[in-house]
Amino acid sequence: MTIIWFFIFFISFAWGCTESAPESTIRIGLAVAPTNLDPRLATDAPSARVNRLLYSRLVDFAEDATPIPALATWEILNSTHYRFHLIEPRPTFPDGTQLTAQDVQETYRSLLDPKTASPHRSLFHNISRISTASESTIDFFLLHPDPLFPSYLVIGILPANLIAMNHPFHVDPVGSGPFLFQQRPDATRLILKRRNDAQLIEFVKVLNPTVRTLKLLAGEIHLLQNDLPPELVTYLSENPSISFQHKEGSKFSYIGFNHQDPVVGQNLVRKAIAHAINREQIIQFALGGRARLAQALFPPNHWVGVSQLEGYSYDPPRARKLLRQAGFTGERSPTLIYKTSTDPFRLRLATIVQEQLQQVGIHMTIHSHDWGTFYGDIKAGHFQMYSLAWVGLKTPDIFRHAFHSQSIPPLGVNRGRYTDTLTDDLIAEAERTSGANQQQRIYQSLQARLLETLPYVPLWYEDNVALSTTAIQGYTLKPDGNFDGLLHIQWATSSTIQPQIVRQTDS
Amino acid sequence: MPHFILTRIISALVGLLGVVSLVFFLIHMIPGDPIDVMLGESALAADREALRQGLGLHLPLYEQWWNYLTALAKADFGHSLFSGRPIVDLLLERIPATLHLSIIALVIAIIIALPLGLLAATRQHSMYDYGSMGFALFGMSIPNFWMGPLLILVGALWLGWFPVSGREGWNAVILPALTLGTAMAAILARMIRSSLLEILGEDFLRTARAKGLSSLQAIFIHALPNALLPVLTLLGLQLGGLLGGAVITETVFAWPGLGLLMIEAIQQRDYPVVQAAVLCISMTYIFVNLLTDLLYAWLDPRIDWQGPS
Repeated sequence: MTIIWFFIFFISFAWGCTESAPESTIRIGLAVAPTNLDPRLATDAPSARVNRLLYSRLVDFAEDATPIPALATWEILNSTHYRFHLIEPRPTFPDGTQLTAQDVQETYRSLLDPKTASPHRSLFHNISRISTASESTIDFFLLHPDPLFPSYLVIGILPANLIAMNHPFHVDPVGSGPFLFQQRPDATRLILKRRNDAQLIEFVKVLNPTVRTLKLLAGEIHLLQNDLPPELVTYLSENPSISFQHKEGSKFSYIGFNHQDPVVGQNLVRKAIAHAINREQIIQFALGGRARLAQALFPPNHWVGVSQLEGYSYDPPRARKLLRQAGFTGERSPTLIYKTSTDPFRLRLATIVQEQLQQVGIHMTIHSHDWGTFYGDIKAGHFQMYSLAWVGLKTPDIFRHAFHSQSIPPLGVNRGRYTDTLTDDLIAEAERTSGANQQQRIYQSLQARLLETLPYVPLWYEDNVALSTTAIQGYTLKPDGNFDGLLHIQWATSSTIQPQIVRQTDS
Repeated sequence: MPHFILTRIISALVGLLGVVSLVFFLIHMIPGDPIDVMLGESALAADREALRQGLGLHLPLYEQWWNYLTALAKADFGHSLFSGRPIVDLLLERIPATLHLSIIALVIAIIIALPLGLLAATRQHSMYDYGSMGFALFGMSIPNFWMGPLLILVGALWLGWFPVSGREGWNAVILPALTLGTAMAAILARMIRSSLLEILGEDFLRTARAKGLSSLQAIFIHALPNALLPVLTLLGLQLGGLLGGAVITETVFAWPGLGLLMIEAIQQRDYPVVQAAVLCISMTYIFVNLLTDLLYAWLDPRIDWQGPS
């Protein structure tokens, strides 16, 4: 009887365990797993990054975020009529059929169908009609002119026949991208197959950053990208068995203000705060030097970025002077509430800012809330100041959503209730202008105006980091943190695993 | 007996209804709008309204509650706001993993706790007693979020015997089960010891020895079965907790169970999933407690099956 019980016990160890992927699989550790593999529905960054691998899209972005042809080139027939020509050879879906204009048309039609409940629909509400002139030509007709229109066409294209059959793309993706969906063995794992050489790539979700680090050190995963606390990045980058890359990124961190607040609603107070924060020191000591100072929403290498903007240098005497000018003299000093999430790193940053503001006489209390409550408060305008980051910004239409006086929630994401007539005018003027150079000039003026009026105190653009075992090679980082580097990742041959190639710093 | 079982089942169902209602209303009190989650902040007002109507969120709260209850009666938990998958599928995908981990953890806990508790009780005030209870104190004091990485460091990184995390391979369950099992074993060992110490002083044991049974026989045949009755209640509660998803352990070990599902859903504000996961956990607690009550009543002849007359 005892033997039977022992047998049952040991059998139960193996019961239910999921099957391992083949040894040759390259594994990538993720903090958050992709949740939705239907590009029409996905909004989270991991899903968007994986969907880029599974589906091809009409348009992509160059390093400076200008739209460039991906599946198609385009011509502007008039300000409300864009014609796209699919580039030959066209990619194929897994069943071997070639992607056609019909697939493009049906993808965007289904996205515009309210029944699909696509979160991207509002981006395309300007489309009045889509038609196909031939198997490789698609026409988009707009309600109003929009020079940025091609930049929006980055949604993955689905096969028209499966759209018609209501295929569940969110769990069984079928695309014409460089990777094929292979398997999802359990909720934490997703396996893709590279089309050109059948190399398997597995995404493994490990929530805890310490455990992710240990998995990398144990060789259970081969690559980690971002989402690690700076101290773990530093620790791993000093490990000789780990290859480290970092590259300038576009994730923009900032401090936002409530412009309806009697204290931070004053430009002088906001300027005092900007001069009181020693951003260089924070970057050096808290971020391990892996960030660059920001003066605007877009980095200087973006096509609307401005390199010559003069930001707010660390200058405590000037901050004190500005506070005095704002009426905070003698015993009267500003007391502020700074809201942030419960993320340990964000909390640490908050305490540093608190200490630095204290030096110029601003008393700051930190209110830390779980993400939902924090974000809900920000959207509802229940804050004085807060810290957040914009991730993956590409198109300058964000200026209207974030800073126009008519974009106050729920109409947009102007959470600070910022209103400025000149800003509104510049946004409208840029939207009316069709020439890229003219647009660039107006957007640059707009960013100078934003820096002057400070709806946000720009902090920094965080670098992207990749840490990999020396068993793999060929991975390159992208500025927006996408996984396109997986197209070229491969196993290192034994001769290339040498200590001298361990450090690959690309900054 | 049927009256006893019926009473217990009815009280369990009432408890369940209370939990379902509480979870429903609490979730609706939390700031945030599911429409924002699904459509984003830049969605058009018309789209927002259409989706709100489609999901029935425009209805008065009591009507939504009633609709939720009637849907639950048909085992329809709705769909995840993020993945779009039916929540029943998500739960069914995660429950086996949690069940797997819980059973192994429970077995490990019993394997550790029983000999320790026995040793401590039969050798009271000896080094064995102090050692066992020291271990119990150690096990209870170490939080799982620390114990987990420690076991990973030793078992996976230094010794290389087990995978760091995940659910691949037969040995993947050992480290998370040990993490859960040791904490549970510590509490169980203390309970077994105190319960056994109480029994060892009873007259019936002296009688058993007087009738010629050896000390070991007296302990195993007479003392232990009686001492385990209060332990059973504790075990039931612990098992309920485990089956409800060991949130921290599942997070540390990336174990794809109910606990991890709930954490993910909370982080993403996937309200229907949070609601369903909490409900599932509550149901498990209620069910395990019901089972424990019935088992307890069956094992202990002093409990009146008829209830108060």
